[in-house]
Amino acid sequence: MSNRPGSASRRRRVVAPIVGIFVFLAVWEGFVQLRDVRPFVLTAPSDILGYLGKAPGDFFAASLITTRHALVGFGGALVVALLLGSLLVASPFAERATQPVLVLIQVAPFVAYISSIVLWLGAGDPPAYFTTGLVCLPAFVFATVSGMRGADPASRELFASVDAPRWEVMWRLRLPSSMPSLFTTARYSIGLALIVSYLVEGSNFSDEGLGAIGKRAAASNVGDALWATVFCMVILGTLGLGLIALLERWLLHWHASQRAI
Amino acid sequence: MSVAVEIRGVSKSFGDLQVVQRLDLDIAAGSFLSLVGPSGCGKSTLLRMIAGLEEPTAGTVTIGGASPAELRRTKRLAVVPQQPGLLPWRTVAENARLLLEINHRHQPSHHPDHLELLDEVGLTDFLGAYPHELSGGMRQRVALVRGFALGAPLVLMDEPFAALDEITRSEMRDLLARLLERHPATVVFVTHSISEAAFLSDRVLVFSPRPARVTADLEVALPRPRPPELEDTPAFVDVCADLRHRLHGAMYGATS
Repeated sequence: MSNRPGSASRRRRVVAPIVGIFVFLAVWEGFVQLRDVRPFVLTAPSDILGYLGKAPGDFFAASLITTRHALVGFGGALVVALLLGSLLVASPFAERATQPVLVLIQVAPFVAYISSIVLWLGAGDPPAYFTTGLVCLPAFVFATVSGMRGADPASRELFASVDAPRWEVMWRLRLPSSMPSLFTTARYSIGLALIVSYLVEGSNFSDEGLGAIGKRAAASNVGDALWATVFCMVILGTLGLGLIALLERWLLHWHASQRAI
Repeated sequence: MSVAVEIRGVSKSFGDLQVVQRLDLDIAAGSFLSLVGPSGCGKSTLLRMIAGLEEPTAGTVTIGGASPAELRRTKRLAVVPQQPGLLPWRTVAENARLLLEINHRHQPSHHPDHLELLDEVGLTDFLGAYPHELSGGMRQRVALVRGFALGAPLVLMDEPFAALDEITRSEMRDLLARLLERHPATVVFVTHSISEAAFLSDRVLVFSPRPARVTADLEVALPRPRPPELEDTPAFVDVCADLRHRLHGAMYGATS
């Protein structure tokens, strides 16, 4: 065997996760086949793939819609959080005043008030965008504020020593300083955004998105359709995480988190 | 290209804590002044007041006839902090020109080229490197260049070499002496190191424990330029001994 230092770590990095997933799928498949579990409780991977294969276009189109809902909400929350966070960093009073509201938003069970938002904003995209954005907002604001606050004191002093205007401190120092905490939050929020979008789609009286398919399948006890939407959601979430990891490598290459130990 | 600093009746207290008490001080244009004293005696606070980063409770600081705020606004004052404070997302070259880029409306009329300065401190091969790829000494060299790149007539240094090991420290000291020969400025330098103060300074002020008062004011009459070998001469050893004696006096109240 070769002793190149890269080969062992590469095997760990690439091969190990694939092995893990295959073992998981095999155990799942075996369990369903041997114990004869009802499809609604748990559908075997082979049946999920079979069901997806019957109407791949429908699931693809629905996945795109769910992705759109999640990304608009996620992106909107990020933009609002950056603007709001910059204001809050400048004013401790505003921060204290806003914090309880954000905490309320964060801990309120969104599943319970989704139908109220649907009633308010009507069917279709708006309630999906709004709810997803709302649920993702608090964590992004907290990440922005703590990241910006944590900007290196020596650098802050340095900026002050040449009388840097406020926007320059924000743009050149505080914003980049908030990147690491924003990325950590983004990794957690991307999955959340997809789930919220899915749930809103299931309760907004329209037939668009994976959530709508899932809701219909659940209502009519069609296990394989329901599990097919779960499968698509998992793929979307994984792609989202992968995309964020790529962005992180590119934008955060300077940060300790991106280095091998 | 250097300015005189006038400090008149400057006091500073934080709440009940009196840190600096009615200090009068004239710093000659183009001179190198070191502030030496026990830890926490208020040297750094004085430096920050000269930079205008801290407002005196009473008294005034005037730099070449202008206020510290005016000097900061027009970027005629360079600060070299204790921690290098490099931005980790910027390369060495980008960090070196950071202060030139910030507050862009006020560009110094003539300033040394930051790439030439990086060459002078031996960092030409690291222009594209990021701070995390550098040693502590190299980072502090970038911080020095970043300060000198402004071509400012007043340079304020707050224990810039304190975090470095002994060997790197004396290297940095020689480097700073060479940089100043080529790019003269008035320098105020806070340090804990007696030999550093003796080697670099024209004048050394020894401070008492808080509230900071000047207990000794010494001219260092060693010839310039000062090569590293100076350290081994009897004259240098004498200056150090004198300084150590006075610092000891300042700390334990013995009269000298």
